[in-house]
Order: sequence, then structure tokens, then C-alpha cells
Amino acid sequence: MTRLRVDWPACRGRGLCQEVFPELIDLDEWGYPVLDGPVPDDQVARARDAVRVCPTLALRLVGG
Amino acid sequence: MRPASPVPVAGPYDVVPGPALLAGTAEGPGLAAHRDRHGPLPDLDLDTLLDLTTRARVRGRGGAGFPFATKLRAAAGRRRPVVVVNAGEGEPASAKDAALVGAAPHLVLDGAVTTARALGAREVHLVLPGERPDVAAALRFAARERDDRLRVHAHVADARFVAGQETAVLELLAGRPGFPVTAWQPASVAGHRRRPTVLSNAETWAHVGLLAHRGVAGYARHGTDREPGTTLLTLAVRGRRATVREVPYGARLRDVLPPEAWGQPALLGGFHGSWVTWETLASLRVSVDRLRALGTPLGAGVVLVPAPGECPLRLTSRIVDYLAGQSAGRCGPCLNGLPALASALRAVAAGSGRTDRLTALAGLVERRGACAHPDGTARLARSLLAALLGEVDAHLRGGCPALAGTALGAPTRRLHAVPAAPEGAA
Repeated sequence: MTRLRVDWPACRGRGLCQEVFPELIDLDEWGYPVLDGPVPDDQVARARDAVRVCPTLALRLVGG
Repeated sequence: MRPASPVPVAGPYDVVPGPALLAGTAEGPGLAAHRDRHGPLPDLDLDTLLDLTTRARVRGRGGAGFPFATKLRAAAGRRRPVVVVNAGEGEPASAKDAALVGAAPHLVLDGAVTTARALGAREVHLVLPGERPDVAAALRFAARERDDRLRVHAHVADARFVAGQETAVLELLAGRPGFPVTAWQPASVAGHRRRPTVLSNAETWAHVGLLAHRGVAGYARHGTDREPGTTLLTLAVRGRRATVREVPYGARLRDVLPPEAWGQPALLGGFHGSWVTWETLASLRVSVDRLRALGTPLGAGVVLVPAPGECPLRLTSRIVDYLAGQSAGRCGPCLNGLPALASALRAVAAGSGRTDRLTALAGLVERRGACAHPDGTARLARSLLAALLGEVDAHLRGGCPALAGTALGAPTRRLHAVPAAPEGAA
């Protein structure tokens, strides 16, 4: 099962991941990502986009 | 200014001699007395040590209760393994590792050395508590008394709540500030400088040491079939000296608590623990599995009891204020969420807050950090609603009921001013 994982100390809450993948990524009241479960198989490319746009390299795709 | 701990950091404590780890400590903590008591350190191969620790079901005593043999198995067979003794207690209410290192440092070192030899590790790292220089000195002294033909390195951890978190310790060992970082793999696979690292709490190592000396049959003379052996508890009634006791698994909690605690709710597991009512507490036995199944894990073995007549909401609020200040401030949800949680709790204790806000904030910090600090703080806040909802409701209706300070029930006392609920408030 593929998941997105946040490197929390690296995350600065810029929110770009949410812009490219809003179906799975929400932002909390402070602007940090809230991940809604594992990445569906047909959405892995979107998840990769989210990983790629993170300016602090705080997002990783793991497992699967 | 970070809020001070409601329980003094590195406060005084008494130690009650115990049946296993804390037995025979009247002869002092020296190496000669230790060897007289336990004999020479047996040389165990890895399979034997794995077998012993599996059968005796040795669990981590740092808080998570993780099976020691699982860590050992994960590290086995990998290149250049490392052994780490974590003698730091980030939790102000805990004194059991300090007590253990003071009374039986060589049992701790025996566990680490046996494991290092079985694994083929050449390095043992000792992580010493910065807030307790006497404990740090005792463990350094004990390490110098021995010649285990291992490289022993000592490190002093900051007196910060999160400094004992596993990844924070690995950072310290690497020469960086001891703050938690994201672990992509378990330390037993890729820990200190990416080498396989068996990192355990001081008490865990002492149990491994005792088991190496006594074998499973000797070790299991105490405890239950499912959970052999003993565990150390720190029993603390606020405003009094804490007591460290070694109790067999399966012991009734009410039998080990001091009389001042009777009739009071308690925080089981310390600052990252859960509130339990006296009725529940009186029915509980010391058991990692049972307490975890009940949603009130034993953690590192702290039982913290409010002073008689002290309001548990106010105490929780002060603890969460302190915990919020102890965040390393590196993970956004913890940096923002814990102060928000602290403020929501202050509002509830003052009669003006909302419990749904408390629950929402707890949900927003859980599993969203590099370490367990936000999770533990959220657990504490949630447990207040689970165990002491009557107290919480009473505050929100504008009153602070007295605790049932005695079994007979104390008269109602207002211990702090609670403003009347605003008109139309829920």
C-alpha cells in the first residue's frame, strides 16, 4: 500500500502539495498537510507530483 | 519563558527495596558487591539471548513497551551493530531509572554488555540525564569500574521532555542537538550513523542483565505466566516525595499505592499518560497488555496522584502548558497545536471552553510529528474527557466540585474560582 509520509520537522506548511493533490491532501488550520489515508493505485502519479513540488522536500511516497 | 513542570524536575524520591532488580542493594552499588550477588557475567550467544528474551517476554520500559527480542532480532546479522543505554528520564514525575542507576548500575551495564557481545557490537553508548548529574556520575563511575573490552561512550542529554525520544537520542549521539527527527526506518535497522542500533531504556537493560544471570526460570519467579518478572513504578502524590517501587507484574495497583492516593483519581503513565478514576484504579493490576487494552497504558510506570483536594483539570492544564513549552518546536502541528490545546484546556478549566475543541485539537496533533510528544499530550487531554467527564461538565456549568478526597466523600470545596458560564453557553 502506497502512502504519503511527511517529514514533519522539514515541513514548513507552504501548502503546494495540497494545491496539486487536493483530493487526498487537506490543510489544517495552521497550513500543514492532513493526509487522508493511503494513495489509491490510480492516483500515484498525482502523489508523485505532490512530492515533487514540495519546496522543503518534506514529502515522501513510501511502501507499495 | 517556558512554563515550569507542575512536578519538580529531578525531584527527591525514596526507593523501596524490591524483589529482583532492587534486591540486595543495601550492599551498595559497587562492582564487587554486584558480582558477589549475581556471579560473573555469563557469555551468551545471540540465539540464547534471543531465546531468553523471547520466552521471558522482556518489554521496553521506556514507555512504549516494545518487545526487546524484536529489536534484537532486527539488528542481528547486520554490520557494525551498536548498543545504546538510555538512562535519561524526560518525564519529571519519573525517578525509576535514576533510582535503578543509583542502586544497581552494574545490572544495567550487564544487560548492555551481554547484548553487545552476543551481537558482536564493539560500541556501547550511555545516554545520561542532564537534569540529574548524580545519576550521570553514578553510571559513569560504574562503567569505569569494569573492563568489558568494549568502547564505552557517554553522552549527556538535555533536561528537556523530548530529549529521551529515540531519534532525539540518535541525534545526540551523532553530535547534533538532541531533537527528534523523522525516522524512516527503525533504529534497530538503521539507527546511530545508519548502523543497526539496539537502543533501550536503562531499566530494560537491567532486566536483560538479570535474565542473563538467572535464566528464564529464575527470572519468572516473579510476575505472571503471560508477563514474567517485575517492573519499576514511580508513585508520586503531588506535594510529597515520590517513591520508586519494584512490583511484580500482576500486582494490584491499590496494594502498591500509598494511603494518600486512596480515593483519588490518578494519572497513569505520567504526563503522557491517562487519567483513571479511583474506582478503575482500584480494580487494575500492573500489566502492560491489560492496561494498553483498556486504553490507559502504563507508559514508563509513573502513577501521579493529585494532592488531596487538588482539581485534576487545573493540574492537567498546568501539565499541558508545560508540555507545550517542551515541544522542540520543529514540527508544525506540535508547535502550533500544543499551545492551542493548552489554551483550550485552560478555557475548559476556567469554565468557558468547549470540549469539542479539545477533541478536535487532540486529533490534529496525533501522529503528526517526528516523535510521540504530541501523541502523548493528546492522550492526556482526551483521557480527561474519558475518565473525568463529570468533573469537566461541572466546570463548564460553572463549578469546580471537590474531588472525593476520601472514600467517604469530602465536602464540596471550591479550590479555584470558576466564572459563571456566559448566558446561553452550551
